[in-house]
Amino acid sequence: MDFNLSNEQRSWQMAARKFAEEEIRPISLERDAIPTAAETFDWEIIKKGSKLGFRTLAVPKEWGGHGTDFVTQALVMAELAKADSAISKAFSQNWKWSHLISAACTQEQKERFLKPFVADDTFVLGKGITEPSAGSDNRLPPDDIKAGLKLKAERKGDEWILNGEKAFIANAPIGKLFFIDARTDHTVPLKQGTTLFLVPRDTPGFRIGKVFNKSGWRFYQNGEMIFENARVPHANVVGEVGGSVKKTGGRGGDTTGGDIFGDLELCANALGICDDACETAMKYAKTTKQGGQVLFAQQNIQLQINKMFMLTEALRSFVMRVAWEHDMKIHSCNAGLAMNYSTDVVQEVTELYMEVRGANGGVMDHHTDKLVRDSIIWSHLAGDSVQRMKVARRLAAA
Amino acid sequence: MYNLHLSAEQLEIRDTVRDFVTREIKPVALKASRLDVQDRSLLTAQIDAGSQLGLRTLALSEGLGGAGADALTFCIVTEELAAGDADIAGILSETSRLSHVLFDHAMNDAQRDKFLPKFLSDDKFHLAFAGHESETRLGVNYHRPDAADAAVKTSAAKSGGDFIVNGVKGTVANAPVAGLFAVLVNIPGRTSAGVLLVPADAPGVSVRAHDKAWHHGACGEVTFKDCKVPAANLLGGDAATLLGADAAGRGNPLYQALNLGIGRAAYDAALDYAHLRVQGGRPLIEHQAIATKLAEVAIKLEVARAAIWQAAWASDHPEAIADRSLADLPLTTMTQVFVGETLLKATKDAAEVFGAMGVMRDMPLQKYVNDARVCLHSGDGVTDAKLRIAEMLAGYRRASSGAMAAE
Repeated sequence: MDFNLSNEQRSWQMAARKFAEEEIRPISLERDAIPTAAETFDWEIIKKGSKLGFRTLAVPKEWGGHGTDFVTQALVMAELAKADSAISKAFSQNWKWSHLISAACTQEQKERFLKPFVADDTFVLGKGITEPSAGSDNRLPPDDIKAGLKLKAERKGDEWILNGEKAFIANAPIGKLFFIDARTDHTVPLKQGTTLFLVPRDTPGFRIGKVFNKSGWRFYQNGEMIFENARVPHANVVGEVGGSVKKTGGRGGDTTGGDIFGDLELCANALGICDDACETAMKYAKTTKQGGQVLFAQQNIQLQINKMFMLTEALRSFVMRVAWEHDMKIHSCNAGLAMNYSTDVVQEVTELYMEVRGANGGVMDHHTDKLVRDSIIWSHLAGDSVQRMKVARRLAAA
Repeated sequence: MYNLHLSAEQLEIRDTVRDFVTREIKPVALKASRLDVQDRSLLTAQIDAGSQLGLRTLALSEGLGGAGADALTFCIVTEELAAGDADIAGILSETSRLSHVLFDHAMNDAQRDKFLPKFLSDDKFHLAFAGHESETRLGVNYHRPDAADAAVKTSAAKSGGDFIVNGVKGTVANAPVAGLFAVLVNIPGRTSAGVLLVPADAPGVSVRAHDKAWHHGACGEVTFKDCKVPAANLLGGDAATLLGADAAGRGNPLYQALNLGIGRAAYDAALDYAHLRVQGGRPLIEHQAIATKLAEVAIKLEVARAAIWQAAWASDHPEAIADRSLADLPLTTMTQVFVGETLLKATKDAAEVFGAMGVMRDMPLQKYVNDARVCLHSGDGVTDAKLRIAEMLAGYRRASSGAMAAE
């Protein structure tokens, strides 16, 4: 057992902390307050972060990225999320799909897509799975062949013609390249009949619809995708036709990066919110006075703060263990469990933070409100019953 | 004898209000633009329509032109209204509550003659109690004498036949819509605080609405600057106690009924959606995971309602505590803690049924979660409420007056 960080890991952590405090935190509340969902995004912060390496952190060194390990990635996500969870996610979403490119794309595809991604500070990635009538059905596909995503892809010579729509797709409104799951065989269940395509934003017949107006994670853009006879070259098929679910780990247990990184990503991001809540709560309790005494003098405040830190440190241990297991290529279901656990922790910690905040008057400031709104996202992404059952099934299959 | 039957009149008023909410409030309240908690304008026309239905004067005695509703009926109506719109429920219930306290109990005949006709004839005439100044939580003062900062700072100085009022009151419920304020004031030369009636249009009164504050209904800061009010507007006797915080923890749990309405709206929406939405080859309601979650929400709502109804009934029947039918406990404060904590969890669970749609600002579930969060953390916080309950369990009696007065 060695909990020390390497010099390189430490150095990335410090760089992330500096960037988060000096660049992200100052714009966080202002971006969150913008009422129109499509206007919350800010390219300047992406460009600044990209120049420091936070966009291409997970791209292998031989392709011009930083080739950091999972421990580093977890540390950086938490540091960025401590200043703004949604902005951290806007960066790490790129790591998720650069893991997938590294693991699943051919050399030729990497030349065409990974190189321009690395070179362009405003090149952002996304992946379209969810559809209006297929959310949980993609995560836990039933055997019914009608269930799950419906976006249709038909082969015509050297091209595939895509028709249908995607919903809630992260980075859709701003991305330049998307991985798109489409049904290439409607006569078999989702697991066998789905193919993964690389779809550049300027693909003919492909456009972006509305930006979803979320209560939390305001900066992070989720949008609609519309495919009307969109033409994608056969050369953009990732892996084999009919092989998407296997490749990207729809059944779980995947060790190639995409899916398993996603689980680590959500729990590491939650850790950042918890760190922010703990630090702010402690500062507030030590500086706010009531009846001549600081709030921290009260037993109830001490107990609330104790629980906030206790849960946060337990989450940190779990997050770092999962990151380390990924680096050691140890196959386990811990990433999924940590993701589920982070839902419970991030919500309990932010709700306790509200209690501390309310101890002197009940009116919540914008920062407190934002942390709570951001943390609710986990209910629908990381800790809903489908995400929990999915991990249980991985455990049963292990 | 144990009887949970509602009277024919109570059932009728519940049906009437539920129908009003379905026909007139929900179609407007559920519009996407109205669901964004950052941008919530008051539904004025619906509040006026509620007044015409008698909901602004629900608790005012029949003799004075109201409906004379008891505490339980009042809670039932507030739940129904809040299931449609928490802000409408907040405004109408506050005016109705104060109409009973002020006109039926606190005013003398001359004061009533002066203000009641105006109040009755104008659907837009609301009432507000401006008592609140600084945040004085129990907190550090648990089981200790009050801190000195509990004293009322807004002053009313006698000048001939008038009072001159100066001071600022924060987070006053109904302030932006009030036609008449009951203002808690410190009168130089008197030992206890008094309550002065100040019309909203009196010179020197200004109201700043809290647009995005942490509240339901309308709320604002009221400033009195050299505001001159006839001395005859001073309420007599125990007005400060009648209007002030529910120190005994046995008042009508109206805010909890409002909270319950929010929880019920979330549950109703989730149950409907669980029938409609098909994933995993079956409607959501046929899946164990969602079915169990909905059952848990239904349990929380029903137990919360039982606690609210008991506390409401007990607030009208103090003899039930005296004759040992009910425990000698601050039932309303206990209800506040239970309902606030339980219903936040319930609305979050209901929202989870909606998947991603549960967090969208143009959909109702995120509003219900936000509204339940506001209920838990506005007014006296839950942590504080537990301390107030504990003081009673410990037998600690407060000697001082004002917001933390002993029973």
